[in-house]
Amino acid sequence: MATLLQPEKVLYLVRGEKKIRVPLSQLYFCRYCSELRSLECVSHEVDSHFCPSCLENMPSAEAKLKKNRCANCFDCPCCMHTLSTRATNIPAPLPDDPTKTTMKKAYYLACGFCRWTSRDVGMADKSVASGGWQEPENPHTQRINKLIEYYQQLAQREKLERDRKKLARRRPFMPQAFSQHTIHVVEKYGLGTRLQRQRSGAPISALYGLSLKEGEDQKEITIESAQALDEVEPLPEDYYTRPVNLPEVTTLRQRLLQPDFQPAGASQLHPRHKHLLMKRSLRCRKCEHNLSKPEFNPTSIKFKIQLVAVSYIPEVRIMSIPNLRHLKESQVLLTLTNPVENITHVSLYTCEEGDPDDINSTAKVLVPSKELVLAGKDAAAEYDELAEPQGFQDDPDVVAFRKSNKIGFFIKVIPQREEGDVTVAFKLRHDFRNLAAPIRPTEEGEATSEAIWLTHHVELSLGPLAT
Amino acid sequence: MPLFEGLGSGGEKTAVIVDLGAAYTKCGFAGETGPRFIIPSEIKRAGSPEAVRVVQYNINTEELYSILKEFVHLLYFRHLLVNPRDRRVVIVESVLCPSHFRETLSRVFFKHFEVPSVLFAPSHLMSVMTLGIQSALVMDCGYTETLIYEGVPILSAWEALPMGGKAIHSVCGITMLVFSSALVDSIPEDVVEDIKVRTCFVSDLQRGMKIQEARFNLDGSAERPAPPPDVEYPLDGQKILHVKGSIRDSVAEMLFEQDNEEKSIATLLLDTLVKCPIDTRKVLSENLVIIGGTSMLPGFLHRLLSEIRSLVEKPKYRDALATKSFRIHSPPAKPNCTAWLGGAIFGALQDILGSRSVSRDYYSETGRIPDWCCLSAPLPDSVYEAGKMPPPLMKRAFSTEK
Repeated sequence: MATLLQPEKVLYLVRGEKKIRVPLSQLYFCRYCSELRSLECVSHEVDSHFCPSCLENMPSAEAKLKKNRCANCFDCPCCMHTLSTRATNIPAPLPDDPTKTTMKKAYYLACGFCRWTSRDVGMADKSVASGGWQEPENPHTQRINKLIEYYQQLAQREKLERDRKKLARRRPFMPQAFSQHTIHVVEKYGLGTRLQRQRSGAPISALYGLSLKEGEDQKEITIESAQALDEVEPLPEDYYTRPVNLPEVTTLRQRLLQPDFQPAGASQLHPRHKHLLMKRSLRCRKCEHNLSKPEFNPTSIKFKIQLVAVSYIPEVRIMSIPNLRHLKESQVLLTLTNPVENITHVSLYTCEEGDPDDINSTAKVLVPSKELVLAGKDAAAEYDELAEPQGFQDDPDVVAFRKSNKIGFFIKVIPQREEGDVTVAFKLRHDFRNLAAPIRPTEEGEATSEAIWLTHHVELSLGPLAT
Repeated sequence: MPLFEGLGSGGEKTAVIVDLGAAYTKCGFAGETGPRFIIPSEIKRAGSPEAVRVVQYNINTEELYSILKEFVHLLYFRHLLVNPRDRRVVIVESVLCPSHFRETLSRVFFKHFEVPSVLFAPSHLMSVMTLGIQSALVMDCGYTETLIYEGVPILSAWEALPMGGKAIHSVCGITMLVFSSALVDSIPEDVVEDIKVRTCFVSDLQRGMKIQEARFNLDGSAERPAPPPDVEYPLDGQKILHVKGSIRDSVAEMLFEQDNEEKSIATLLLDTLVKCPIDTRKVLSENLVIIGGTSMLPGFLHRLLSEIRSLVEKPKYRDALATKSFRIHSPPAKPNCTAWLGGAIFGALQDILGSRSVSRDYYSETGRIPDWCCLSAPLPDSVYEAGKMPPPLMKRAFSTEK
């Protein structure tokens, strides 16, 4: 019977950009828009970074600097497991007395899963427990930085040209003597600083200020273009006859973990710092309110803001399904749970003919016509054995049982198709009290929270027909 | 880190550079020396055990949209760890990418992730940017195809061949099944890829020629040179796949074999040169750039050069091409990241990036990305200094001038 509790059995329709049918446990509820939201129709944002192995929070500025990698933890380059630091005692000569030796601690990195150690790649043992390990540097860094500077200079020049062209066009207030050509010439050859200072119009002088500086600076960054090679190294002769030592050759995945080096041999695989994970906050796209904001602390699983749908919308669950037969009416027992603390009134409606949302149902359903009343959720109710009867008058044909904030009720299902799964759909209408945003001042007390009626489209998949 | 990047420098945040390849995607930030991550271009769905390829050109828009959305979500929130709304995006992509794919990708970025702007940069042009030269002949040996292109783009002279890593994988897979002890019914593609990367190589010209002759065996007398030793490849921790030595060197020959149209990778290069205007040929032949993951096979570059040099002597090319000198550049990055690096260098130029990207406002007004063959998009006002900066990339208004 646990299969009936699977979340995919009961789907709620979300009207976002696309209509999505998702179980209620995966939905969020924006109480400012009073609508259900799914993961597709909210915008995700990165909230905080943390290391998955040492669970240390990292401020985003530091994360940017460290390229989203933890300072202390390393990944095994062979199997991507977390490396642990091990210590051995090695004899080392005392600094002041070379003849005597004393035991010193030396630290090395080792993988507990694939038994890789930092000694395999030739990394010397370090004398400090953490912080001694360096990642190798990319040999092309210098050249690339120079290229970037060079192109930035070109880009600036182009921007200047562009700005000058733009300003050159809207120049009604310039004196006639300074035609565009003259200015062009003047700027290029930097004649007469005095003339330039007499310019009118603040923006133009600012621009010439720039060119003046550049002219004075005279430091043009030039780079030498890359030299093409005539010959490429051929494969060594013994390549054709040498047997391949497969564990020594790195796999593609291991290589791609280090994009800068991509070593072919396992003896050049250096460990990398562990990549961070992030915590995500969600925001409604329409009203820009946060729907979910996690705690800052990586070890905490709670949320600062948690507007999940299960805590606002009554949840429908299937309790028992009898044998369903083609064109025969059967009673299905459903439960309805009230997540909020005040009394909720729920009414159910069948989908009308030609309802555009109702595309999946393969059976007719008759829902109770009366309004169902659900008691509020009382946190202490489970401890209170002498619970007073709640005093609701229930129609025994409709309501099967009632227990604190949950009721079980019957719906009648008539499968219309001979084969396939039986799916039914109906509309659930309930009142929702928005306790969140008090529009009027709170002097009026509880009366400010007005009830608005929300309607949701619910689909149940009741499984195959009984043979 | 470059000088201009600092914590308190203010200004714009660094752009996100993505190179969506058919097999692997390289993603990272502008101004860095290498991509942060090289991940396979596929996503895992709950339904199917096999991963779904992201770069597919034949599926319908809705499916492509959801696949791309999931993939870009992973890129941002698992690998790059930044907010999409803050940073501009540069997408390095192949010129042969269909407009429909590009439109869907830009819709994903603009509508779903709300990035401020997007720039589509051709991968070949970007690779030239890593060298600091004005023009070059760029050959991209990737997964699905091999493509040649000029920097200072001469668009009429491009060539492509559907011969890439994928072809090698299929040949390798089939040959292995035939020759090796068939313990498994079929070998999954990532295993084939692994075997290719670790054990296969490209022989030099003489040996390669002999292998090809032996395969076709036209005279019946050609002898195959001694194959390299076999390799025992462990599969699944239980079975062992014997990779015959002959497979190791023969699969790469497929790239250099001339098929019925006498086309191979080497002829691709020479045909492109023939198509180019005469005065550019010398410059181009001395500035060859090879990018793409398939070119990282051991022995590939050497073989390519020797093939070109031997083909130039053939009558077909001898009269057409006067130039006989060929030189290859070595960019400051691995060949599979070169295009990404070019994109990163370009992305570090913040002003230019701003003026040449398609901004979100423009996209929401017009609803489409200007394509390079689209003449209705207005040309930008910026005049480019001929020969110093690449021509405007945003509107893709490539000129056919030299």
